[in-house]
Amino acid sequence: MSALKPTSLDIEPGDYLVVTGTSGSGKSTLLNLIGLLDTPTGGRYLIHGVDVARVSEGERCAIRGRMFGFVFQAFHLLPARSALENVEMGMLYNGRSRLERRRVAMDALARVGLADRIDADPRSLSGGERQRVAIARAVAGSPRVLLCDEPTGNLDSVNTRAVLDLIDELHRDGLTVVLVTHDEDVARRGKRRVVVHDGQVVEVSRVARASWTSWVWRPHASGRATWSGNARRPCCGIGADHYLRRLARCLGRRRSS
Amino acid sequence: MLGAASFVVTLGLVSTLERQVSDAFDLRRATEVRIEASPGMDRSWHREDRLLRVRALNGVESAGWRVMPIEIGLTRLPQNPPVNVQLMGADPQAVAVMGPRVVAGRAYDWFHETTEQKVIMLAKPMADRLGVPRPGGAVFVGDTAFTVIGIYDAVERRPEAMLGGMVPASVMAGIAPTTPTDVLISTVPGAAQLIAEQAPVVLWPERPSALRAIAPPDPRTLRREIEGNVTRSSLILSAVALIIGAVSIANSATAAIQARTAEIGLRRAVGGRPVHVFAQLLGETTALGFLGGFVGVCAGVTVVAVVCLWNRWAPVLDLWVAAVAVVASATTGLLAGLWPARRAVRVQPVSALQH
Repeated sequence: MSALKPTSLDIEPGDYLVVTGTSGSGKSTLLNLIGLLDTPTGGRYLIHGVDVARVSEGERCAIRGRMFGFVFQAFHLLPARSALENVEMGMLYNGRSRLERRRVAMDALARVGLADRIDADPRSLSGGERQRVAIARAVAGSPRVLLCDEPTGNLDSVNTRAVLDLIDELHRDGLTVVLVTHDEDVARRGKRRVVVHDGQVVEVSRVARASWTSWVWRPHASGRATWSGNARRPCCGIGADHYLRRLARCLGRRRSS
Repeated sequence: MLGAASFVVTLGLVSTLERQVSDAFDLRRATEVRIEASPGMDRSWHREDRLLRVRALNGVESAGWRVMPIEIGLTRLPQNPPVNVQLMGADPQAVAVMGPRVVAGRAYDWFHETTEQKVIMLAKPMADRLGVPRPGGAVFVGDTAFTVIGIYDAVERRPEAMLGGMVPASVMAGIAPTTPTDVLISTVPGAAQLIAEQAPVVLWPERPSALRAIAPPDPRTLRREIEGNVTRSSLILSAVALIIGAVSIANSATAAIQARTAEIGLRRAVGGRPVHVFAQLLGETTALGFLGGFVGVCAGVTVVAVVCLWNRWAPVLDLWVAAVAVVASATTGLLAGLWPARRAVRVQPVSALQH
């Protein structure tokens, strides 16, 4: 049994892709494969031309940490740590110094409107605030892509609106967003929509919002997903682009030897 | 923590008890020498002036001659059926060596010895059997009456003295003229081996080889053997305690890591490599082991101190035991964390996040 059937999907920088579908259709599996949280059993997954389905676990971790930020429905905040420490954890493996992590985390919390709650225990925060902390953690590491899995699933309508506004704002600043949801209102926020049904991408459509016109969809015969183009966001330390270029050279050397 | 505490307590108490056992051993057993003649020898080697020279040897506390116990019938009244007891003759110095604890009356002295007074000291069980409630009465050996001068209920040495009684050696020599004799000597602690070498020469300079000195084994050797055995046993006990501690830490580590599966998934999601998570989990179990070991050592030292204070013992605890306990606990934590940490990093991040 396969959770996701052979499919092809291109994501361009600056996309706001919404993945919808019924429960158990495979949309979260698709998101996990995009975010390298899961390993595909077949097919190719190209990021800047590097087939990341074939690289080692360590390399996948390095790409994941530099390329993607995650926002989960269940927030996944560490209960015994403050909001600031939770955000700092998002940069723990990025090679930043402790001082820099702290500074960036404070900036990220200020950006999501929680500058006054940096010392708060996540258990004392409301659902909306927790999700904003999670978003701050996801973007603090300067990822290229923000992957959101049902980010508003546990929130009321007011907090849902606030969180989605925040994601919209991050996208307007240049962040690529892939968002999984089964909520039609949430799905309308996206630029493109992918519908997954029984593990098959059955429909890719442009959302009817006049200002967004640039999207690319290139179906392939064999299962393949690509990420192409140059990222525009700056990144501290060794960035995703630099790392992937180095990895591509390394893989080329491995093949030739 | 429990492993380290039991390690320290076991070794600490055993070290202290070793000292107590050794002290008791030295005082009671290692201070007695018995000199006897080869079988078939008469009493010609037995001379009082030579015994005086033995008493003058450095390290001798008491030395006296004794007529070996023989079975003899005693009666409360001549017409009563006799009760068989082990009766021995001992001069006052030999009595001092045996150290009877007199509970009624007194021990006989040199007056009774030199004037061959017919007095007898009875062991309490024998006095009860004969129906002698207190000193002053008489018991009979055949038709000869002996005045009961004292009753004792325990002896420090020569437990055979509890099987009957003792009379002056000069009197016993008359009752059993052919019974072999020996010399009983008590020494200061540590002198028994030396006295066992010197006494035969002093007692019979012409033929010292005809006498046999029976001394306890060299107390230092025996003490080392006993201490070695006790230490080995305690180390085995401590190892068992540490193994129990290791299993307990492994269980706790497995449970703690299991409870943190989602956190592990999150760390992997933000770019943590398996080696990062592995090192972190191992570091945590090692630190936990170290901390538990430190607390355990403090608890163990406290228990040893309290037990020693309670019993008025001098606590004996080497510092290396504390150091070994802490290091062993940290190592145990490290080893105990290996398996759960290895299992944790093998879980796919997505599975861990769904936990």
